[in-house]
Amino acid sequence: MISSLAIAILNGVVWGWIMALIALGLNMIFGLLHIINMAHGTLFMLGAVSAWYLIEATGSFWIALIVAPLIVGAIGYILERTLLRTIEDNPITTIVCTFGIMITIQQLVLMIFGGTPKRLLTPIVARFPLFDLQYPLFRIAVAAFSIAMIIALWIFLNRFKYGLWMRAVVQDREMATAVGIPVDKVYTWTFVLGSALAAFSGVLAAPILSVEFSMGNHVLITAFIIVIVGGMGSLEGSVIAAILISLIQNVASVFVAPTLASVFALTFMIIVLLVRPEGLFGEKG
Amino acid sequence: MHNGSGTILETKSVVKSFGGLMAVSNASLVVEKGAMRALIGPNGAGKTTLLNLITGQLPVTSGQIFFKGEDITKLGPDVISKKGIARTLQITSIFSGLTVYENIWTAVQSRKRFFNPFVHASKLQDVKEKVEYMLELTGLHDKAHAVSSELSYGDQRLLEIGIALSTEPELLLLDEPTAGLSTDESVILVRKIREMIAGKTIILVEHDMGVVMDLAERITVLYNGVILTEGTPQEIKDNEKVRKVYLGT
Amino acid sequence: MLLKAGSRSILVLIAVLIVLAIVPFFAGLFYQTFLTEILIWALFALSFDLLFGYTGMLSFGQALFFGLGGYAISIPIIRLGAGTGTCLILSILIPMLFAWFVGYFSVKLSGIHFVIITIIFALIGNTLGDTWTSLTGGDDGMAFTVSPLNLGIFQIDLMNISSSYWLVLGIVTLSYLFLVRLVESPLGKIFISIRENEERAELIGYNTRRYKLLSFIIAGGLSGLSGGLYSLTLKYSSADFLHWSISGHGVLYTIVGGTGTLSGPILGTVIIRLLEHHLTEFLKGTDLVVGIVLVAMVLLAPQGLVGLIKSVGRKESKHA
Repeated sequence: MISSLAIAILNGVVWGWIMALIALGLNMIFGLLHIINMAHGTLFMLGAVSAWYLIEATGSFWIALIVAPLIVGAIGYILERTLLRTIEDNPITTIVCTFGIMITIQQLVLMIFGGTPKRLLTPIVARFPLFDLQYPLFRIAVAAFSIAMIIALWIFLNRFKYGLWMRAVVQDREMATAVGIPVDKVYTWTFVLGSALAAFSGVLAAPILSVEFSMGNHVLITAFIIVIVGGMGSLEGSVIAAILISLIQNVASVFVAPTLASVFALTFMIIVLLVRPEGLFGEKG
Repeated sequence: MHNGSGTILETKSVVKSFGGLMAVSNASLVVEKGAMRALIGPNGAGKTTLLNLITGQLPVTSGQIFFKGEDITKLGPDVISKKGIARTLQITSIFSGLTVYENIWTAVQSRKRFFNPFVHASKLQDVKEKVEYMLELTGLHDKAHAVSSELSYGDQRLLEIGIALSTEPELLLLDEPTAGLSTDESVILVRKIREMIAGKTIILVEHDMGVVMDLAERITVLYNGVILTEGTPQEIKDNEKVRKVYLGT
Repeated sequence: MLLKAGSRSILVLIAVLIVLAIVPFFAGLFYQTFLTEILIWALFALSFDLLFGYTGMLSFGQALFFGLGGYAISIPIIRLGAGTGTCLILSILIPMLFAWFVGYFSVKLSGIHFVIITIIFALIGNTLGDTWTSLTGGDDGMAFTVSPLNLGIFQIDLMNISSSYWLVLGIVTLSYLFLVRLVESPLGKIFISIRENEERAELIGYNTRRYKLLSFIIAGGLSGLSGGLYSLTLKYSSADFLHWSISGHGVLYTIVGGTGTLSGPILGTVIIRLLEHHLTEFLKGTDLVVGIVLVAMVLLAPQGLVGLIKSVGRKESKHA
C-alpha cells in the first residue's frame, strides 16, 4: 500500500510538471492573450510527431528536443500571422477557427503519419529501484526538464521587457500601442512561444505516451482546465494546479479505478471554480 | 420645487473598501422624494461606486441603505429595480444588437409580473402601448426600428434613459449622462431629460458644471470617497473647500 | 413579395414538411436513415442554439444531456421492460433534472468559466458512463429491441425505418415549433436580453441567474430528447454518446449555420452532414474538409450561412 501510494505520488508530481509545461504554453496564449486556442493539443502532438521523424532521421532524442519546438514554433508563426491575426478579438470565431485548424492538422497527420500509434524509445533507459519497483529515470529527467524550462520562462517573463510588454498588451491594447509597444509582434511571438512550449512538452511526453495523431485531445481539455483553475495568466497558478490535479488523480487511482479517479480530480476543479472563480492564483475582475 | 413628502433614499455610514482602498467611506446621504440631487466630485471621488452600492451591483462593506424606509442594503440589482430604482451607466449600457423598439420593449416588459411564455410577445397589448408612449416621450419613435448600435452616441444615451424610465422608477440615478457629448448635444439631452423626469426623484452624477447648476436643486460633493459638503448650487459655488478640491493641487 | 414575412415563413415551413413527409415513398431506406439522423442532429443543434445563440451561454457540455437521453431510453427498456412512450418522455425529463443540478452550479459563472465548468460536468458524466459498465454498458454500449410505440389509436413500429423516420420528423417538427414560440414569447425576449447585455438585463429587474437556469434546463431537455431519439433509431446506447466530440458537433453545426436563428442550426447540420457523407466516398479524411470549411467559414462568413444568405438578400433588395 505505502509503496503504491508513494509511486502514485511520484507519478503525480512528475506528470504534474509535464502538464504544467503544456498548460503554460496555453496560459500564455489563452491566459494572457485571451485567445482560445483549440488547436493547442495538436501543437503538442506535432511536437511528438516531429520528434518521431527527427529521431528516425538523426537517431538523437536530444536533437529532436531542440529542433521539434522550433518547427512547431514556425508553424505557430504561420498560423498566427495568416489566420488568427484577423479574428483574435472575437472569442467565438477564434474558437471555431482554431477548432477547424485542430481538425485539419489532425487529419493531415493521420493521412501522412498514419493511424497506428508509434512507440518512441526513451533516450535514458536507466531505472532506479524504488520500493519493489524499478522506476524509470527518464520520467524524473522529464520532470527536471520541465522544471528547468518553467524557471527559464519565469525569468524571461519577469526579468525581461517582453514579459512586461505581454502584460501591458492584455491590460490595455490601445495604451500599449500608444506607449510604443509593438502589439502585433507581441501577439505573434507569444503565440510562437506558446506553440514551442507545447511542442517541447510533446517531445518529452512522447516516450511515455505513444505517438499518435489524436494524442493532443485529452491534453487539450486538461490544459484548459488547469489554466482556469490555476488562474488565467498566473504562471505559479498553472504549476500548482497542474501538480495538484495530477496528484489527486494519481493518488485516487490507488484506491479506485483510474478512470474513476479522474472524477475526483474533476470534482476538485468544479469546487475551485465555484468557490474561487478567478482560479487559485488568479486576480478578480 | 418638490413636495417635501419625506425621505426616499437614505444611506447610513456606507463604506466600500477594496482590499485596502477605501472607495467610499462613511457616506451618509439623505434624499427627499421628488428632489433633483447632483453628486459631484473629481475623478475617483467614489460617485459611481456609491451608485453601484445603491443599485446593489456592488456589495456594501459596512453601513446601510434605505429606500422608502426599507433596508435594501443586501438586495441584488434585479430586486432593487423592481422596488423602483433605475439607473444609467457611465459607459452606455443598452442592448446594442437590438432595435430601439426591442430595447424599450424589454424594459417595459420587466414590469409584468406574469406572462404566458407561449404567447407571441407582441400580443401583450399593455406593453405595446407603454412602448409606444416611451418612444414618443424620448422622441425616438421615428428611429424605433433602427438597430441601437447604429444610433448616434447622443441618441444611445437618450435610449438608455428611456430604458431606465420604462421600468417605472421612483428614483432615477443618472451617471454622467452628458459625458462624451458635444455642447450642443448636451443641451439637447438636458432639455429632453427635463421633459422626461417630471415627478421622479433624481440623483445626477455629472462633471459638466453647467448642467449641474442648471438642473440641480441640491448638490452633494464627494472627495476621496468622503462626503465633503452639501448645499444649494449657490452655496456650493461659493464654498472654499469645493473650489480647492476642484482647482487645487 | 405581397405576403408578410410571417405568413411566407409558414408557407415555406408547410412546403418543407410536405416534402419531408413524402420522402419515404420515393427514397430508399438508406436516405430515410440519413435524413432521420440529420433531423436528430438538427434538434441537438437547435438545443445548443437556444442556450448559446439566444441566451448567450456557450456550453461545450451538451453531450451530457444527449447521452443521458440515450440512457433514459435504453436502461428502462432493458432493465424494467418499460414502454417506448414512457422512455421517450423520460428522455426529456431525466436530462432536465440533471440540467437543473448542473445548471444550478454552472450559471453562477459566466464567460469562459461557464464553458469550462460545463465541460467538466460533461467529462464527469462521460467518465462515469465509461466506468459504470454494469449500468451503462460502458463504451461497448447496450443494444435492445424496441416495442411499438402506443399512441392510443395506432401504433408506430420502430423496427420499421419509415415509421421511425416519421416519428422523428414529427417530434423534431413539434420541438422546432415549440422553439419558434419560445423565442418569440416574452420569455424569449428575456433570454435575448441576457445574451445582449446581462448587466443591463439585471438592472431592469430580471433575475438573470434564474432565467439562465431556465434556458439551460429547456436546452438540456431538448438535447436529451435528441439523444433519446438517436438511441431509439439505433436501438443502442453507449457512453460514446457522452463524449465531448458530440458537443463539438452541436457547436459546429450551429455556428456554421448561424447562431441566434432557428434556421441556422438546421442549415448547418444539413450542409455539414451532407459534406461529410459525400466526401467519405472521395477522401479518407472527410474531417479534413470539415476542418478547412470551418476555417474558411470563420474568415469569410462569421455570421454563418444564414447571415451570409441574409446579407446577399439585403444586397439584392437594395438593387431591386
